[in-house]
Amino acid sequence: MRPATTRIFSELAREALRDAMRRRIVPVIAVFALLSLLAVDSCTSCAGSSQVAQNGKQVSVDDISGWAGMLIFSVLSLWTMVLAGLLASDHLAETVFDGSANLVLARPVRRSEFALARLAGALGIAYVTGAVVLTASTYLLYLRNGVSLGAAVWAGLACAAGAFVVAALAMALSLRLARVATAMSVLFLVGAITFVNVFTLFGASLGRVGHVLQYFTPPLCTAVVVALKPWIAPVAPAVDPTIMALKLGFWVVASALILLAAFRKQELGS
Amino acid sequence: MATVALELSGVSKRYGRRYALRDVDLSLAAGSALGLLGPNGAGKTSALRMLLGFTRPTAGTVRLQGLSPRDPASRVGLAYLPERLTLPSRMTVGSFLRHHAVLAGLNGAEIDRDVEAVLAQTGLTARVRDRIGSLSKGLTQRVGFAQAFLARPNLLILDEPTSGLDPIGVRDARDWILAARERGCSILVSSHLLSEVERTCDQVAIIDEGTLAAKGALDEIVEAGETLEDAFVRLVGK
Repeated sequence: MRPATTRIFSELAREALRDAMRRRIVPVIAVFALLSLLAVDSCTSCAGSSQVAQNGKQVSVDDISGWAGMLIFSVLSLWTMVLAGLLASDHLAETVFDGSANLVLARPVRRSEFALARLAGALGIAYVTGAVVLTASTYLLYLRNGVSLGAAVWAGLACAAGAFVVAALAMALSLRLARVATAMSVLFLVGAITFVNVFTLFGASLGRVGHVLQYFTPPLCTAVVVALKPWIAPVAPAVDPTIMALKLGFWVVASALILLAAFRKQELGS
Repeated sequence: MATVALELSGVSKRYGRRYALRDVDLSLAAGSALGLLGPNGAGKTSALRMLLGFTRPTAGTVRLQGLSPRDPASRVGLAYLPERLTLPSRMTVGSFLRHHAVLAGLNGAEIDRDVEAVLAQTGLTARVRDRIGSLSKGLTQRVGFAQAFLARPNLLILDEPTSGLDPIGVRDARDWILAARERGCSILVSSHLLSEVERTCDQVAIIDEGTLAAKGALDEIVEAGETLEDAFVRLVGK
């Protein structure tokens, strides 16, 4: 009899996570995370002791701390999403093209179980890294600038959903493209979407291409910024958080389905 | 258990304009051992890939233990040893076998018992903590056999199983295959070593240029005074 799906998935996901942790990129990620935290510590330590001038007029640091917090949180969220995409860009494809997936798929294992487990393995590393840097950064911002923690929780969830979307799409793409091309695509797409998101959020018009990108691509940056609205009030983007959550939810489901469809069609060597 | 372990009916597989297989009918009765022979590029690997659900046929139907190979239930009790064996180099032999034992459907104490048994069978007990990447090609092939024998499979699909083994390893592999056959396991072996096929299989199918050149019991294929090698050369015309 075929083992239960939950048992197969948990076994595959555990192994995929162990496999991801054995990669040489992991120590590099840890160093980057540490550097990010040091940078955040440095950026947030000026509260109450510095003077900022805007157009020659003195501005309180507290007035801009929310914006600085939003900027820090958004950058770290995008970093987490890119990390998820880069880790996913060969976590499934490598097993397919070196043939190691074949032994597993010759067992009573569904392709969907295997693909989602590999995705979980790549995401595991990205989520742990993201959780550490975002939690530590939020804590520093909370202690020094008094930002609200509730907004950070929602923004963290938006970041997790965005990382899922980027990783699933990168994994699907990696079945068709070489690893370097997939990694470059991740960087380009996240960069382009962020660029359009940021400019559109605050009222800029980027023409037809910008409109298409803003409307039809996952709201990676927008969702995080919208969740952090309380930090930057009263100047905040006029976007309905519910619509944003629905759009992101749609992309989570769609990206998973795209990955499963791509892997279902994939011909395996032997 | 299905009475036919595996079956290809009118199967063709085309890559672009080239046919890898054309209208092939092939079956393996449960409990039998079939040697799949053919020159390089004849279509043997394409046939195995379709049987395992790795690729879809362009035409025809494939059944594995009575089910579509895309149905994971068709692979319950199946074990596979590929020609190009790529194992996760960073795993230890023991953790790799335990991983496959779970996927094969074993639970709790069964896992340890079965892993120990296949380690002993394949002479790998002393290597259980070694990383797979540190093993020689022959030992890696033994690990491949060890995973194939987990959970006492009822269908073995072996693609060039003795590749990379030394003469003692070849003899051991033959003994393992014969032992599996004796306990009723259905076996499909694709091999270039005709003498091994002759010793381990009761049926032979010869594929040449994507078509089935011959299929039947060994004594039907091999004429009086011939070896299997003679018959092979006669049938593929080379």
